[in-house]
Amino acid sequence: MTALALTGFLGLSAALFGIGIFGILTRRNFILLLISIEIAMNAAILNFVYFAAFPTGASGLSGQSIAVVLVGFAATEVAVGLAIVLALNRVKGTINVARATELKQ
Amino acid sequence: MTFSSFAGPFLPELLLLAGVLLIFLLDVLHVSRLEVVGGIAVVATLLALASVIADLGFAPLALLATIPARSIDAVPAAGAAPLFAFTSLGLVFQGLFLLAAFLVALASMSRPSAERGAPIFYGLLLLATLGMLLVAIASDLIFLLLAIEVVSIASYLLVAYTRKDPRGLEAAMKFFVIGALSTVLSFFGASLLFGAYGTTNLYLLRAAGTAVSYPILVLLGYAFLFAGLAFKVTLVPFHAWAVDVYDGSPDDVSAYLAGGTKKIGIFAFFLVFLGPVLAVNAVGSSGYGLFGGSVALGPSFQLALGAIAVLTMTVGNVLALLQKEMKRMLAYSSISQAGYMLIGITIGTAPAIGGATLQVLAHVLMKTGAFLVVGAVAALGVGPLISDWRGLGQRRPLLGTAFALMLLSLAGVPLTIGFASKFVLFSAAVAAQGWFVWLAVAGLLNSALSVFYYARVLRVMFFDAPPAADPALAGAVVGGAGPPALPVGGLGWGRAVTIALIAVLIVALGVYPQVVLGPIQSAAYHFVSLGA
Repeated sequence: MTALALTGFLGLSAALFGIGIFGILTRRNFILLLISIEIAMNAAILNFVYFAAFPTGASGLSGQSIAVVLVGFAATEVAVGLAIVLALNRVKGTINVARATELKQ
Repeated sequence: MTFSSFAGPFLPELLLLAGVLLIFLLDVLHVSRLEVVGGIAVVATLLALASVIADLGFAPLALLATIPARSIDAVPAAGAAPLFAFTSLGLVFQGLFLLAAFLVALASMSRPSAERGAPIFYGLLLLATLGMLLVAIASDLIFLLLAIEVVSIASYLLVAYTRKDPRGLEAAMKFFVIGALSTVLSFFGASLLFGAYGTTNLYLLRAAGTAVSYPILVLLGYAFLFAGLAFKVTLVPFHAWAVDVYDGSPDDVSAYLAGGTKKIGIFAFFLVFLGPVLAVNAVGSSGYGLFGGSVALGPSFQLALGAIAVLTMTVGNVLALLQKEMKRMLAYSSISQAGYMLIGITIGTAPAIGGATLQVLAHVLMKTGAFLVVGAVAALGVGPLISDWRGLGQRRPLLGTAFALMLLSLAGVPLTIGFASKFVLFSAAVAAQGWFVWLAVAGLLNSALSVFYYARVLRVMFFDAPPAADPALAGAVVGGAGPPALPVGGLGWGRAVTIALIAVLIVALGVYPQVVLGPIQSAAYHFVSLGA
């Protein structure tokens, strides 16, 4: 892969990461928050794939295998998040993060 | 025959894994008696702790040693990039994690037996501890971050394990959002470092220094990793979640979050940031800056670490001064203690790393103990405000004395472990010369500041008159007959034994710190010089 192509791909993952972080910081609906987390996580996963294809060092297949592991991990994290939000919805009847105000700053 | 013949070098990890599987299996079979489930957790953590101590070279337990001495502190062969490596400092941290888990497991044996959820609590506690043990043997960045996630995911669920308490659920939700944000930042940083170096092996990264052909990748990679890990260690300005989470969690869980799981971030800092710090120390302060030439991280990086350490201590202490609730005050004091530990990695010399490790040991004892006392006092029916505790020390002298010892140790009063750890850490800062001396000065000033709010609690407990209708004394002072307290009464034996054990350890290790200081300093020396 040429350096030019890598720059383009890095631009893509930077954009995905920015969108994800922006979503995490601004969304108040828990489900949309989870989606934002996934978008930002995918930026990191894509980076591993690009860099493995780009000859910076003795990377071999490690970048691709890390990417596969991280896809599995991201699914685990979302499962736990959904479990928490289901329990919260059952007790409080809302999944809006801004309405969770039992604990005062 | 030793255990190594069938457990390999992973006896502590396998013990905890067996405990997790056994507890969840018994839960499915409707065996959820507290004595059984809690007993499994206590025995598993105690055996694992004994095995780790044996691996550190403690002769009387040699039967439990499973790691061949030659593979501890060994540099990986050139070209090999293993996922884990045994270092003596990692084993010390494993011991500290297991100590925290053991204390919390033992104290939780006196939860109300009618309360449900004991198998979930103990299973998740062991699972989180298993992840912590993996953090301590990680030698690969991705393995390290995944091990941290094992701990994080188990602790999100631990905060909400009652499933009914709205405060716990809200704390779990906040914890999850912040935790997921920190995870994303860490993995993004790791991916950039992978791009710059072509490897994720921590010891190869450390040896590579920061002189590479893509300095911007290294700079951004370390910056994102720092932000991600700083959330876990509750460094200012990444600390705001911690107070709500510690406040909203069940008391035993707060004790484990503050006393136990937070410390994985400290060891992760040692693993990830020692390389850049050593590179800066080796070159000295002249010649390059943040973006200078091909070097990504210059002295200004070290200065930034030091500034965050001072900021964390100060902000934590000032906010602790302003709190009215006991649990929130302890949470802020826990934040300020993280600042002391960051001093160690900022300096990066062996004595400083050793001092920070001793501070971690002190913090495990003091913070776990303090939150357990808060839980015990809440179980007696006393309210959450500091003013609700008035007169408690007069009415329950043993409990009051134990809590006073923990607070004095947190403040750094001589003859406690908290004094010994601060003394070692600040001496290392002074010995390192240069601007590091100011870190010691800032630490001392902050210790003085923290005395104010600890002393306020002591005054309320020992010198203020108790409230007229004191729930903690129901039945104990009928007729005003003498000092009322039954030492164990109302606490349950698990909590009473744990709190007494912690109080004794705080004083014993404060009087004879050399018992632990020697092994810790030698482990820190090996860790810093590994591969050099």
